[in-house]
Amino acid sequence: MTMQRFKPHLPWITLLVLTAVVGVVDPNFLRPANLLSLAGDIVPLFIMALGLTFAIYIGGIDLSVQSMANMITVIASIYLASLGAWVAVLCIAAGFGLGMLSGFLTTRLFVPSFISTLAVGGVCFSVAQWLSGNRALNMDAEQRNATFGWMIGHTGIIPNELFLGAALLAICLFIERRTILGRVLKAVGAGEPAAKASGINVGRYKMLAFAISGALAAMAGLLFSVKLSGGAPTIANGFLLPAIVAVLIGGTPLTGGVGGVLNTLIGTLIVAVIRASMLYLGIEATQQQMLFGLVLIAAIALTIDRSKLRTVK
Amino acid sequence: MKMKLTRENIIRWAPALVLLGLVVLFAAINPAFLSQRNLARIALASTPPMMVALGVTFIIVMGSIDLSMEGAVSLCAVLFCLMFLKLGGSLGAGAWLAIPAILLCGAFFGWLTGMVHVRLQIPSFMASLAMGFVGTGAAVLVTGGDIVRIDDDVFRALLTWRILGFPLMVHIAALLVLLAWFIQNHTTLGRNFYAVGGGEELAHASGVNVHRVRLAGFALAGVFYAVAAIFQVARLGQAESVTGANLMFVAITSVVVGGVALWGGIGGVLNAVVGVLIVNVIGNGMVVIGLPNYLQDGLLGVLVIVAVVLSTDRRLVSFAK
Repeated sequence: MTMQRFKPHLPWITLLVLTAVVGVVDPNFLRPANLLSLAGDIVPLFIMALGLTFAIYIGGIDLSVQSMANMITVIASIYLASLGAWVAVLCIAAGFGLGMLSGFLTTRLFVPSFISTLAVGGVCFSVAQWLSGNRALNMDAEQRNATFGWMIGHTGIIPNELFLGAALLAICLFIERRTILGRVLKAVGAGEPAAKASGINVGRYKMLAFAISGALAAMAGLLFSVKLSGGAPTIANGFLLPAIVAVLIGGTPLTGGVGGVLNTLIGTLIVAVIRASMLYLGIEATQQQMLFGLVLIAAIALTIDRSKLRTVK
Repeated sequence: MKMKLTRENIIRWAPALVLLGLVVLFAAINPAFLSQRNLARIALASTPPMMVALGVTFIIVMGSIDLSMEGAVSLCAVLFCLMFLKLGGSLGAGAWLAIPAILLCGAFFGWLTGMVHVRLQIPSFMASLAMGFVGTGAAVLVTGGDIVRIDDDVFRALLTWRILGFPLMVHIAALLVLLAWFIQNHTTLGRNFYAVGGGEELAHASGVNVHRVRLAGFALAGVFYAVAAIFQVARLGQAESVTGANLMFVAITSVVVGGVALWGGIGGVLNAVVGVLIVNVIGNGMVVIGLPNYLQDGLLGVLVIVAVVLSTDRRLVSFAK
């Protein structure tokens, strides 16, 4: 078997091997209850990575996801009291709109996505600080339970977050596999000039990809604030690195066109297992970020399609 | 020579005019803005970002980008403090050795980022972003999450000793700006940055070792990040794993707003200086006229978009990733 044919299978093999290794070291790790709670905890990160997949799938990047989630935790905490369940609509609309703005800047004004999303992230950070007055906010616990309690409870032994994550994954998978949008995004990722030449309105679809990324980052922020019952302008810091790692290690390369949301599911699970394994193997938490940084470099180096880069800038 | 109102001329002078306009605006609303104390405050706040911006300018001129500065500055800052304490804790008692040592560390870190970018053929924005995470992670690792303090009066003179009303570190920063300008305009390396930024294949064809120039650029940037770390420590009297936080956004914004084109080959050290001043005048001015300074990040986001849009030649670019 050549490396080229082996490559697509690498992510799930990595996941199985890692899980097996940790399972051998500590069999408790493999108890279903433990695995389920582990999976439940990672759902906000998974939702964020799910959205980010679309931005990377078209060969771009979205560096605003973390600031977006931060801002949404603040918005959700403030407006839950006055808007009730409608606050979810507000949050997702804000994420969709700001993602659309990043997409507009990138496609119509030719601002590279890492700069446009960085700038939109700056706007989000300002809004979050302004709305919160730079303080940590708390949700009214009773109202949170009444409105969003279903998100974080348990059904039997299964955490409800998993159903939410599964539903969003199904929607994204449908978009990717069964809609025109999904096909166009694949075409754009595989080769943008060719997609354009075949008469597709590439700009519109790319904007939608960034909008989906923004909307899902907002969803991640909402779930995160419900879990923590509050929000703050920097509460979700530390999400960006594992989210990018999850997408890339799952097998959606930086150059776009291959991979997809299912890969991100596997990638997120790998991130979860790595995090848990540090605990079981007695590695200190302070080493986590450094480790993920190195894993990120390895993942990019392994997945990137160099034939698409004429000069590497 | 008669100045024509062409696109190039507008782009060349726009940053300086924006800076002038902002100063006039803030001074008109509150004359205290131009007081010597406030100017010193702006200069002091500009010093660490100025060093970071100088470093990243070389890289942007090459057409690459470096997003590793937060990690690099944090790591250099904590390593500097730890070395400083280990070497006696006072500049007079041999701790001065920590300064050249940390400059070397910065150069090594930058070189490593360059290696990841050049040898592994990873686009620089992602290679440097990842290395930035590694740097912050390493800073957490060596400090265990703690704060390291330095209370050496001689070292803190960088902040406390004022010449003509400005702290010593501002004067040193001004000298380093001159040095960066010299490297850019009067060394082979500086001219090669422009050659690579103007057209990598052309530079390669005319015999420039593009890989080596890129590595040198990242290493040079690393040295400037290390200087920024020293200034940051002198200003705050301490270092921790978040010492470099927010420097990435501020530095990139400054350089781009100052008129250095992201595509490479256009702009330089003086643009970065104007850019850093614009950013810090805005930050300071908002406080002086009574606006909350957390609007700064949002405003900078808008400014950077305007700057990139203005500097983009739409005839040459067919799409952006």
